[in-house]
Amino acid sequence: MSTELRQRPAKPRQGWKVALSILIITALTVWSAIGVGVDFGAIVRNWSNASDTLVKLSQPDYTFWPETVQALVETVLMAVIATALSAAVSLPLAFLASGVTNPSGWLRRITRFVINVVRAVPDLLYAAILVSVVGTGALSGIIALILFDIGIIVKLVSEAIDSVDQGPQEAALSAGATWTKAGRTAVLPLAMPAYISQVLYTFELNIRASAVIGLVGAGGLGVLIDNVRTFYHYHYLSLIILEILILVLVIEFFSSTARKRLAR
Amino acid sequence: MTDSPQRTDITFEQVEVAYPNGQTGLSDINLHIPAGQMVGVVGLSGAGKSTLVRSINGLVKITGGDLAVGDLHLAGLKGADLRRLRSTVGMVFQGFNLARRTTVLNNVLMGRLYHTSTWRTLISAWAKDDIDMAMDALERVEILPRAYARASELSGGQQQRVGIARTLAQRPSVILADEPVASLDPPTSHVVMRDLQRINRELGVTVITNLHFLDLARKYSDRLIGLRAGKLVFDGTGDEADEQAFEKIYGRSLTAEDVMDAKPALDGA
Repeated sequence: MSTELRQRPAKPRQGWKVALSILIITALTVWSAIGVGVDFGAIVRNWSNASDTLVKLSQPDYTFWPETVQALVETVLMAVIATALSAAVSLPLAFLASGVTNPSGWLRRITRFVINVVRAVPDLLYAAILVSVVGTGALSGIIALILFDIGIIVKLVSEAIDSVDQGPQEAALSAGATWTKAGRTAVLPLAMPAYISQVLYTFELNIRASAVIGLVGAGGLGVLIDNVRTFYHYHYLSLIILEILILVLVIEFFSSTARKRLAR
Repeated sequence: MTDSPQRTDITFEQVEVAYPNGQTGLSDINLHIPAGQMVGVVGLSGAGKSTLVRSINGLVKITGGDLAVGDLHLAGLKGADLRRLRSTVGMVFQGFNLARRTTVLNNVLMGRLYHTSTWRTLISAWAKDDIDMAMDALERVEILPRAYARASELSGGQQQRVGIARTLAQRPSVILADEPVASLDPPTSHVVMRDLQRINRELGVTVITNLHFLDLARKYSDRLIGLRAGKLVFDGTGDEADEQAFEKIYGRSLTAEDVMDAKPALDGA
């Protein structure tokens, strides 16, 4: 038995790496918390105030419902329009951004660079800028969502294209097809499930995001949230939160069902 | 019509292929393949079989010498000229290379891409003539009833026959087959090889197939080409390929691993 043990290689000692990693992450977290002045004591000190708000939030005022309908519909419409337009623009861009479907190195790099810049800006910032340029309302919100969506869809779909089976494309090219034709007939069918799945997910994101970008005046439920919050109407606010929750759950149910079917 | 079968001889003159890593793919290959010949390319793996076949449609670039397919010379051929050449040279692949998520017909229509404009391709508005040619090609390999099935639903042998139909839809003068039966079982391999042979006999298409198994190559080829380390070491008929010739190609005598059907015999293949 002891001979068998001697023949086994020594287990590499890697425990210190894990310990060091945990130490570094903990140190960074604590340092960050001190840096931004996190004060957990404030929760306790303001408790009477907070509990009062929480009680109001737990009692949605359903009579406010008729006044939310318009904003709710606007939110959904903004999400639909933004998703459709960004999906249309993103598909050719995703093909340009992938090394599989775009043999031109400089064109691919330019596309990727532009997309990375577009993606680096948060949706709320787009909305804030657009509200000051285009004005308040749904149009600013839709444009903000489109810019935000293009960044995500192009990034993820071009990565899906990078990983498709390249055999069919090789066959199309060796039959005398151009890269564009080969991309359309031999790559698109393989990338389609990833594309549709991504577009559906983007629609979910848009519902959520359009609630937030309204805070800076870009239309939808966010505008309403901003109004009721300013006047401390927490009963109303909780109704709006409930509506968003139900809306997102319903859409998520349908889109995840659709995505599961597509994955086959 | 520009894609009707015409005399397309293939000529290699001192063809060299050197890979970027310095490895030799082919060296000093001289060959004349007249139109309509059924050629089998044999050799050990790494001998350059695939390189030879893939140089003919420019999937592998030659680095020296002259390689001509009809009146087109491969050296430096690119863009529209390369696509014109490829439109007349079909290719069958070891892994079938079908877009598995789409229909059999859509896969065969890829053989018509050269003759279809970009905008028609983008909106899938195939011309009636092209659909007819694709259907004819499917009929020839006996897969027509499955035209609207998803490619992934077909068996391996059927998928390879769709691959052959895709090349037939090109109305090619040459078909290159790169290890076309390496992923198939022996009975199916014979079916696919017979398809290629029939296309060669009936349509007069030059068929160049690289094959791992010697007995298959002898059975289905008018002419055998043996490669070893990128050099041409045998060129003759299957009957001329005796034990001595095999030693030249393989550097050893024939073993059971070199043939598909059971016994390592030279006769009765």
